[in-house]
Amino acid sequence: MSVPLGHSLTVGAALFVLGAVGFLTRRNLITLFLCAELMLQGVALNLVAFASHHGHLHGQAFALFIVTVAACEAGLALALILMLYRSRKSLDVSLWQDLRDPDLEPTLDVERLPAPPAEEAQPILAVAGRLPPPRIEGGGDA
Amino acid sequence: MHSHLWLILALPLGAGILVGLFGKLLKGQSHWPVILGAAGACGISLHALWQLHGHHDSVSLLQTDTLPWFSAGGVSVGLRLAIDPLSAVMLTAITFIGTWIAIYSAGYMHGDPGYPRYFAVFSGFVFSMCGLVLTDNLLVLYGFWEGVGICSYLLIGFWFAKPTAAAAARKAFLVTRLGDAGFALGIFLLWSKFGTLSLPTLFETVRGQPVEPILTTACLLLFCGAVGKSAQFPLHVWLPDAMEGPTPASALIHAATMVTAGVYLVARCMPLFVLAPTALVVVAGIGAFTALLAALIALTQHDLKRVMAYSTVSQLGYMFAALGCGQGKLAAFAVTAALFHLFTHAFFKALLFLASGSVMHAMGGVIDMRRIGGLRKALPITHATFACGAFALAGLPPLSGFWSKDEILAVSQEATHGDVFAAIYLCVFAALLMTALLTAFYTSRAYFRTFWGKEVIPPEAGSHGHDHHNDHHVAVVAHESPAVMTVPLMVLAAGAVLVGGALAVNHVFGHFVENTPDFLKYFAVHEHHANYVLMAVSTVLAMFGIVSAYFVYVVKPGTADVIASRAPALHRLSLNRFYFDEIYAVIAAGPLAALAVISKVFDMLIDGIVDAVGRLPRLFGGLLRPVQNGLVQFYALAMLLGLTVFIAILAFAR
Repeated sequence: MSVPLGHSLTVGAALFVLGAVGFLTRRNLITLFLCAELMLQGVALNLVAFASHHGHLHGQAFALFIVTVAACEAGLALALILMLYRSRKSLDVSLWQDLRDPDLEPTLDVERLPAPPAEEAQPILAVAGRLPPPRIEGGGDA
Repeated sequence: MHSHLWLILALPLGAGILVGLFGKLLKGQSHWPVILGAAGACGISLHALWQLHGHHDSVSLLQTDTLPWFSAGGVSVGLRLAIDPLSAVMLTAITFIGTWIAIYSAGYMHGDPGYPRYFAVFSGFVFSMCGLVLTDNLLVLYGFWEGVGICSYLLIGFWFAKPTAAAAARKAFLVTRLGDAGFALGIFLLWSKFGTLSLPTLFETVRGQPVEPILTTACLLLFCGAVGKSAQFPLHVWLPDAMEGPTPASALIHAATMVTAGVYLVARCMPLFVLAPTALVVVAGIGAFTALLAALIALTQHDLKRVMAYSTVSQLGYMFAALGCGQGKLAAFAVTAALFHLFTHAFFKALLFLASGSVMHAMGGVIDMRRIGGLRKALPITHATFACGAFALAGLPPLSGFWSKDEILAVSQEATHGDVFAAIYLCVFAALLMTALLTAFYTSRAYFRTFWGKEVIPPEAGSHGHDHHNDHHVAVVAHESPAVMTVPLMVLAAGAVLVGGALAVNHVFGHFVENTPDFLKYFAVHEHHANYVLMAVSTVLAMFGIVSAYFVYVVKPGTADVIASRAPALHRLSLNRFYFDEIYAVIAAGPLAALAVISKVFDMLIDGIVDAVGRLPRLFGGLLRPVQNGLVQFYALAMLLGLTVFIAILAFAR
């Protein structure tokens, strides 16, 4: 009852393409990183599928390695992203163009990005052991 | 074998390297290694001199093993040190005078920012000069010859921030280069013809085969090198300018030792020159002409050091004239006379320079005789020692200059009785007599103008150029130099007074130098006999010169101007050094400058082409540069597209 090779490869390719498209189109660093991970897992899936098709474990060994390395890489990458965020207070990847040829002008957006959606109000939890502040209906006078 | 001879080279070289490398640490103590190195070399030289003096009849030669330097094809050159009486005499003069000048320098250069550099180069000079004297191979000699040249260049340009000093250093280097080119050609010619560069072998080989006219050419080319190094006409113009260097360096290099290297070279190669009578007569002619010319110029110069410089040129001409008189059986006499004058001259000329330096030190760097005068009260020791040197140079008996000058006059007079070129030698003899008179006059003029007459002290006195203890409240007070400077003056003064007489008695010097193996082998034995008539004549000439200078500059101080106005053309010629610098500027420097401009234009052309080729890749690169825009996603896209194309080709282009 094995999954046919074509099915597994299709899923792997779909994962890879989704990751690639996401990597090329999104601006958020964390999203980019997640897309890269997606591509990686697509490839790992291919390896496992081929290994199972050939009836040995080489591909699985590779896949294990990929998962391990991806875990390390995730730790590093998130730490780096954190540092990058700290330096510019933004996660927009296009803010980092410093490695371009010294004579070139920085590439700017032709049309401005839409404003980020307003953040939804987060529920505020009361500190344990104290009464919540009294809610005033209708605002205004106490 | 006498391997301790290597120490003569090793001590100054080691001192020079030590001071050169660790000068920053040694600072004001930099003179110690150099003085000790020179003194050590001097001790070994004196010991060698004593050993050679010991055995009269056996071969007088101390030598070391040969260190191979290189061998290529048929030529192999080895480094071997050999001391024969000829080199022993030179070596003693170099190291002895060098030691005392190093001591003097410690006082003179005190407080100069370049103090370690001065001593490093100084020691390097002593090393090169000793090497030049000690080797018996022409190629090695040439190497050391260039070594002294570079040290001379470095010391003339010691204060390189001063434009005149830099220019003088360049001039000295370039002018001597002209002579060196001839020297190199001479070496090549000798090697290609006789296949050896070792001097003893060369002398042997030359006698086994017909040599004319190659040998005359080779000798003239060797002499060409000597002319450059020893500042003879027509390459004499660099030496007076070389006085821009520190005075002690001038004393050692441009008066006592390096400039006599040319005389040494000709003396050393005398076994070749005797076979080429034409070359010898050229040597004599150029020497005598230079002697007279430089003496005429020295008559009117105002700068004390410049008078001394022209006097050096003139005295070197004297030595060459003596060497040139060594036709046939006079060869041994000629060499001993020239070497004797070289030896005594080294003492009194070094003394005169050091004394001039002492005057300069006291006068705050002023050396122009129109601005100083009557210093005999202010600088008693300098005055006394300068007088010793000046009268030795003038040839006043019994000071040393008298004895050696007399030998030269004697040999030139004997040459007039020879069978070859008698007329020319008569002119040489006359020129030398005339020069003797002029020498006495201009030396006394310098002496009387500086130390006698009304006391004139320039305002710069007391604030010496590199004096670190500058007392502001002191008015114009000329002070005698410290003991570290006056003691060398006194030692050299003793030498200037005594050396000549001591060595002239029984012809000690002559017999000693004649014992040189090469000379014993190839020269006829010469009978020494004193020529009292000539001695009387030269004494009268010297006395006349001194007395007339006394009359002109002390008794009636205005006389000189009257004489000058009587013969304005001659006076102007002499004052402007016969316009040699101007003539050379037109005929030599002018075309060279034009050539330099042409070369520059040509160079710009070539450079333009090369630069254009260099710009091409830049141009093409410009097309691709926008790709490097620094956007991560752009790179990712490029990778993806590239990969797609690659896979597509793999998949469909089977």
